Amino acid sequence: MTDPTSPATPRAMPDPMNAPTRRPTTYPINRPAHCPMNGRIARSTICVKLPTTAARALTVAVFAICGLAASPAWAHKPSDAHLRLEADGSMLVGRLDIAVRDLDGALGIDGDGNGEVTWGELSAAAPRIADYAQHRLALAADGAPCAVQLGSAALAELSDGAYWALPVSARCTHEPRSIEIAYSLLFDIDSMHRGLAHVAGQTVILRDARPVRIALGDATSSGSFVKEGVWHIWMGIDHILFLMCLILPAVFQRRTQRWSAADSLRDVCKEVFEIVTAFTLAHSITLVISAVGLVSLPSRAVETAIALSVVAAALNNLLRTIDARWAVAFALGLLHGFGFSSVLIDLGLPSRELIGALLGFNLGVELGQAAIVCALLPVLFWIRRTLAYQALLWAGSGAVAIIATLWSFQRFAA
Amino acid sequence: MLALGAVGLAAALTAAAFVAPGRVAAAAATYVPSDAAQVIATVPMRDPSEVAARRALGEAPERVELAVELARADIERYRVLSDPRYLGRAQATLARWWTLAEPPPEVLLLRATIEQAVHQFPEARADLDRLVRLRPDDAQAHLTRAVVATITADYAAARDSCQATARLASAVVAATCAAPLDAIAGKADDAYRRLAGLLGAARGDPPVRGWALTALAELAYMRGDTDAAQAHLGVALALDPDDVYARNLLADLRMATGHSAEASRMLAGREQIDSHLVRRAIAEHELHGPDAAPLIAAMRERLAAAAERGDRIHLREEARFALAVELDADRAVRLARANWSVQKELADARLLAEAALAAGDREAAAPVLAWARTTGVHDVTLDRFLARLVTR
Repeated sequence: MTDPTSPATPRAMPDPMNAPTRRPTTYPINRPAHCPMNGRIARSTICVKLPTTAARALTVAVFAICGLAASPAWAHKPSDAHLRLEADGSMLVGRLDIAVRDLDGALGIDGDGNGEVTWGELSAAAPRIADYAQHRLALAADGAPCAVQLGSAALAELSDGAYWALPVSARCTHEPRSIEIAYSLLFDIDSMHRGLAHVAGQTVILRDARPVRIALGDATSSGSFVKEGVWHIWMGIDHILFLMCLILPAVFQRRTQRWSAADSLRDVCKEVFEIVTAFTLAHSITLVISAVGLVSLPSRAVETAIALSVVAAALNNLLRTIDARWAVAFALGLLHGFGFSSVLIDLGLPSRELIGALLGFNLGVELGQAAIVCALLPVLFWIRRTLAYQALLWAGSGAVAIIATLWSFQRFAA
Repeated sequence: MLALGAVGLAAALTAAAFVAPGRVAAAAATYVPSDAAQVIATVPMRDPSEVAARRALGEAPERVELAVELARADIERYRVLSDPRYLGRAQATLARWWTLAEPPPEVLLLRATIEQAVHQFPEARADLDRLVRLRPDDAQAHLTRAVVATITADYAAARDSCQATARLASAVVAATCAAPLDAIAGKADDAYRRLAGLLGAARGDPPVRGWALTALAELAYMRGDTDAAQAHLGVALALDPDDVYARNLLADLRMATGHSAEASRMLAGREQIDSHLVRRAIAEHELHGPDAAPLIAAMRERLAAAAERGDRIHLREEARFALAVELDADRAVRLARANWSVQKELADARLLAEAALAAGDREAAAPVLAWARTTGVHDVTLDRFLARLVTR
């Protein structure tokens, strides 16, 4: 009688759809990411992340302290290889990482058959490995084949053991707008092997030898980051209301214990400039540190806090608690930066010109902001002595306070 | 103020420039060993007869009996080591027949076994239905079919196949096959008594005993008798220390009874297996142990790697991790619901109920409530969750 099948131990389930995974680059209106009326985005918990190399060093140190028993042995996972490619003019450069274990399965690296592959055995097999990879990797630029050259390999340590890291370079006929990859390593000995192509900020899953085309131009360019920034602030009702609440009273200043309409446009502009600059600096700082992942806050908390900041700004108008509204703009503006960064992360930060992308997005936000302020400020100054302005200031602030309070509850409870 | 803000911004940008390249899709650092004798990787030892069989298969690829033997050997390695690469190898060995609608029966069984192991239950079931029609007296086919049908809550089909094993295999095998079905139907006590009696009387092969003892332990757990459950699993693990399922169940029991340190200890050194890693991470997290941080980091890395290659790995384990370690009840509920759509074992029901309770989302537990009502199952743990859910 044969062995009974042991009950299903949960195992990896291959994705039935043959779709490559991509980061979304759709416009804000299609995304629930930062709709102020909407609820939450699922994001990570509060943590402060170290730079990758430091984090790895720390992890290794922890393993050493805890002893060998604590360090997870090489993971038992399905077979993957990683192909990283970047376009550099008309050249493609990158690296192909193949698990040493898989190479032994394909080529028989373990010469003495003792179940261990030594560095000596591996080095001796280097030409065979290069030949194997060369015949199973084809690259093309917009359909025109590129000449693939493999460099001299080193080793890389991944979660499931040692990988053979082969430098890849390919000379193409022109600067590519798209790359075609025909990858056929290891499928004949392992049907669940996957080639993971990391190109242009995306990861494309290669599960058979069929060529896959990856468009390079899809990565958001610096210019469009600016546009995204402008678009985002115009769509961000909560950010706009916050700013409006702060600058609304600027044309109605306190002077000698009495509130009255301001006389000088120049003074008003100066105050508004201070407020806007304070807000800008604050949200720029937190946008930058949050977008690169130095600090990462749960989105529900951020969204709720932003709504509460709008309540605070509105109430401040009604209760006149703090006159130095630039300080309020700075302190609470820090929160708004976290809200912007989730959008930026969804767009996908490029590895090259990262600072350009950050500054571009930020610039877009500032331009959008400036456009709104410059459009509204003259109007406000013009109507400052009228009843309409009084209504706007008092009833408007009150209404905003109520709406923003509702938002706070919605976002908290979402 | 302006100056301070500007300085702050400059500092933030500098920090970003330092951090970001590391964060954005970095390749692992490379190194070149200096010692030719340094061991780089451990690989399966080469069995000369297997090498010969592979060579023969290479020369005559139509020889299905060779392919079946080789694939069966790899599936057995998977069963012992829980290393999914062997499943991929087995599937590749059967590639010539894999996409056929009507492959040879031996291939059908192996294909169903591999499909079941990667949670492709509808496909496995289709293959097994076909196989039992072709070979009504194949005990293994019926057994595998019963297991898959039980997992997907098709209890009528499972009962049919269990009854077939009653006439084709030993009484212990038949009773173990039927035990979860009786338990889910609310007759855990009867099933326990019957199976315990049979195990006491008959010896049986160690693999069969181990499997039966695990089933017995699950029945005991359902009845709330955690001591008996742990005792049975202790015997099962003594018979086969590499029994992943039994070890996971015992660790779960230890954690449920407040002995997380015990659970962590019995999983130590076995973290290459994902289901062990997640449980050890949860246990160490509860204990605030020194190993918690690296274990949690390792688990996150595994989940990320699986997501990267498009696998929904261990939805059940991922949901538990989200619930117990990430403390993200909403995400746990989403994962538990996705898991429920794939498999409907008692453990999956408990998980969805617990996640729904933690998230305060009674609606999410509706499928489990319906399932419990329809089947009439009585499980101490599940009943507790459902009762609290209903009274909210």
